[in-house]
Amino acid sequence: MNDRAISKVLVLDNGVAHAQAIKDFCEQNDLVPLKIQKESIAKVLKTNVDLGAILYSETYGTSPEETASIAAEIHALRPELPIIIRREKSATLDGLSPVLRETCCHAYVATDLAALRGAIEQFIFSLIYPNALLRGISQIMGSVLSGQFPDKTFSFDTPYIVHDRVIFGEVLSLIQLESSWCRGYMMLQAEELTLIDLAGATASRDNAVVLRKVNDRLSEVTNLVWGAFKNRYIGDQTTLASARVQVPLVVNHQHKYISFGTDNPQLCFRYTLKDVQDGRTSTLYARFIFNLNWSPEDFNEIVPDADVLVDSGELEMF
Amino acid sequence: MAQVLVVDDSSTVRDEVSSFLKSGGLDVVTAVDGKDGLAKLKADPKIKLVVADVNMPNMDGLTMVEKIRSELHNTAVNLIMLTTESSPSMKERGKAAGVKGWIVKPFKGPAVLETFKKLVA
Repeated sequence: MNDRAISKVLVLDNGVAHAQAIKDFCEQNDLVPLKIQKESIAKVLKTNVDLGAILYSETYGTSPEETASIAAEIHALRPELPIIIRREKSATLDGLSPVLRETCCHAYVATDLAALRGAIEQFIFSLIYPNALLRGISQIMGSVLSGQFPDKTFSFDTPYIVHDRVIFGEVLSLIQLESSWCRGYMMLQAEELTLIDLAGATASRDNAVVLRKVNDRLSEVTNLVWGAFKNRYIGDQTTLASARVQVPLVVNHQHKYISFGTDNPQLCFRYTLKDVQDGRTSTLYARFIFNLNWSPEDFNEIVPDADVLVDSGELEMF
Repeated sequence: MAQVLVVDDSSTVRDEVSSFLKSGGLDVVTAVDGKDGLAKLKADPKIKLVVADVNMPNMDGLTMVEKIRSELHNTAVNLIMLTTESSPSMKERGKAAGVKGWIVKPFKGPAVLETFKKLVA
């Protein structure tokens, strides 16, 4: 696993002269470039829920009007995705059409990729996640999933950053995370069929009993991950500050949209579970949204006292 | 007559733990939260062992065990916590309330069955 989180960016830039430079830039800056045909943009944006930004170009369309129209369409579909535009002469948004000035967040020129790096840091990797946290979450999730689903093997991708407010799948669980150095939420998302499979249910999807079982299974996985995260990174609750800020979460089911009231990115983990017998796969997504407080300079990992270490599942008698 | 009361808001955990204990020859009833657990224990004071989660709605597990001692005046029942919590302060609070043992989830039945059987004997 890469120690740093990555982010997938949609590269909508036809500039042949700069293609290699952009590719190299992505590789050096933990970005995974995705290039597609112009005709596929809408479809890809509707299906890809794990994008960090769009790398656009002033000359992407066959005309300035088409370039602006495409940017407007992208922005309408995914307003939270930062669009960073490469220009030929000016590294500012000055002089662009009103549509492009409104839809793009930053401009750069190919001769000064340091400015692009700055934009990436500002608009994608705006939160720095300690490597120990990334490794630890992966370990915790792996331990919980392998314990809960012993008849599955699992694999996971490098953690990635998104700026989406998109709900993936039909079922999600939310739980608060609170400590002296971070406050926010953990969210697990999955398609309902995935959870039916993981719950070992075979009845019809409309069966209310099956649905309760499915929901409860997700809830227990969430609880176990949350508990392990708390024990490892949050520790004693008495260290929390007394003033508790809260912001409303907004969910729009119609548009599969959830807002945590912030432009902060979301740290995502994708786990693929594979049945050892029939090879069928299921995917679970874990997202961490630190919308209320993020102070990585105060990051603390709780190391249990080795003298009193008791394995999970073992009974510690007092 | 039940011997063990399993208290957890998760039906997955209630089913898993009670099925395992039943297969080990123990008689088990379940409750969905601390309030329900208190009511079930009050209705059947001969229950010998309570296995309870901490984080539950309506009434958490540690409040429940404190009330078992203070309101039900039941000092005979053995109390074991089965929870994701592992902080020393939580364990101290449990100890002060008379909790005999602590298991950090996930539940591993074979590791604890013999001890549970001794606690209900």
